[in-house]
Amino acid sequence: MKWQNRARWLVIPLTIIILLFLLFPFFVMISTMLKSGPDTYATPPIWIPTHVEWSNFVTVWTQYDLASYFLASIIIAFGATVLNTLLCVPAAYAIARLRFVGRRVAMYLLLMIEMFSPVIVIISLFKVVARLGLLDSYVALIVLDALFTVAFNTWMMNGYFKTIPKDIEEAALIDGCTRVQTMTRIMLPIAVPGLVTVMIYAFIFAWNEFLFALTFISSKNKMPLTIALYNFVGRWTTQWQYLTMAAFLALIPVLVLFYIIEKRLVAGLAGGAVKG
Amino acid sequence: MADATLSLRKRLWNPEARLAYILLAPTVIFLVAFMFYPIIYVFVMSLFRTNKLSDLTRFVGFANFVDRFQDHEFWMAALRSLIWTGSGVAVKFLMGMIIAVLLNVKYTGRKAARMAFIIPWASSVPISALLWQWVYHPEFGLLNHTLKITGLWTNPPGWLGAPLSAFIACMWVDIWVGIPFFALVFLAGMQAIPQELYESAYMDGAGGIRSFFSITLAGLRELILISTLLSAIWTFNDFNVIFILTRGGPANTTNILITSLYMNAFTDLRFDWAAVQSVVTFLILTIVSIIYARFYFKQENG
Repeated sequence: MKWQNRARWLVIPLTIIILLFLLFPFFVMISTMLKSGPDTYATPPIWIPTHVEWSNFVTVWTQYDLASYFLASIIIAFGATVLNTLLCVPAAYAIARLRFVGRRVAMYLLLMIEMFSPVIVIISLFKVVARLGLLDSYVALIVLDALFTVAFNTWMMNGYFKTIPKDIEEAALIDGCTRVQTMTRIMLPIAVPGLVTVMIYAFIFAWNEFLFALTFISSKNKMPLTIALYNFVGRWTTQWQYLTMAAFLALIPVLVLFYIIEKRLVAGLAGGAVKG
Repeated sequence: MADATLSLRKRLWNPEARLAYILLAPTVIFLVAFMFYPIIYVFVMSLFRTNKLSDLTRFVGFANFVDRFQDHEFWMAALRSLIWTGSGVAVKFLMGMIIAVLLNVKYTGRKAARMAFIIPWASSVPISALLWQWVYHPEFGLLNHTLKITGLWTNPPGWLGAPLSAFIACMWVDIWVGIPFFALVFLAGMQAIPQELYESAYMDGAGGIRSFFSITLAGLRELILISTLLSAIWTFNDFNVIFILTRGGPANTTNILITSLYMNAFTDLRFDWAAVQSVVTFLILTIVSIIYARFYFKQENG
């Protein structure tokens, strides 16, 4: 349309201005992560480093144990993803396909739990985790991270199962498949895009999780990235050029994963009015 | 209805229902252990005095509630939660709407722009908050430096150092994270509105602003409701930004309900106070969640 041609001359500059404004911290990150110490702490500050300090990339791995924090994050996020999937797929199937008393209540509860803030129960969770002897363990984080996305993921998965025509499944049932077989052999393969979304979401949640790690992890060698980076700051040795480099490296996996699921995530959150 | 005439026992215990319960059991067990039981325990705890190890020592009824409700700190945190959520959601909404409108115009590079706009949401909140801490740094931070050299603000505040500017700085980071969600939801909604509507409105002589209000906003009505509720809950629940940027300081002036709850428990070791705040927060959240769930189902079915 004509107005769109005219609008472009306004839209493109405006978009660029807003983006410059919103991506500011990432420009700062990229500027700082390749600076030398003196450049990082120059007064007045400088945007362009006097020389590019590539060795920062090496230093964060060798002097700051970044590998150990990455490993912890990976273990926790993978564990949480597996547990989360094992819990939410069967639950979602039951809600999407089976008739049972309490189904509506379960659906309401799921949507409400989705909104639930872990901070509210952190004091009693602390007692539960302590009593189970799970303080300062990966298991505590895996279980809790998995659990606090289980409602949303069950909900998403339920949405995917519902879109699969019932006939396919009924035909298989008539051919002598059991319910469990139709779920694993027919429904799941069709719902793979949904499954991928759910697994990535669980992974991202666990990767970014801060509160549980802050509260339940005390030994340095079990700290995931979020807490390790948080602990870098405020110590007298804070070296922001290393911290921004580590932040950059820690962000890459979640950024990539987020782009894969972004559209389906929005659809899942906003409901029927948005198609994934 | 055949369903209605079935005996209750049959409805509760037939092969199909049995399979459903088995499939749901693991999730339910975990939820009970790590969510429902902890909520009940928080309610119980709020009626007891606790010691520094969070053990219940003495039943005191509603004395903890009375204590908290007479505390100026508590009401200030509640007020801040209100301001934080209200103005936070308003700004996110507006910025998100503007970005969605911009992204709804077709041009080369639009996909790239869309991807760039998502980054603040896609990024990990704790890590973003850390980055902002460096951006806000009064001496070496590039924000104030850039504001000064561009002449946009010759005398910017020290951000995280002073009460009001610290609260605004925290609020901005939370807003910044939340903008892309609105932008994406609104964009998706706008793209679902048939172009013919705009064309016929144009024929009828409606201007751009008229058609924005009567077609775009009208078409987005349900989405606006759902996304605003959702964003309000997330904003209200945002713990990470404040905790990482200021830990509620300086002198508790950036604490909202959810952060002061944590400080009560793990800094002051007043677990009974924290329990009271948990109960209050839980009740607020439950009300909003019920509204959200109702609208979600209405939209799904309608």
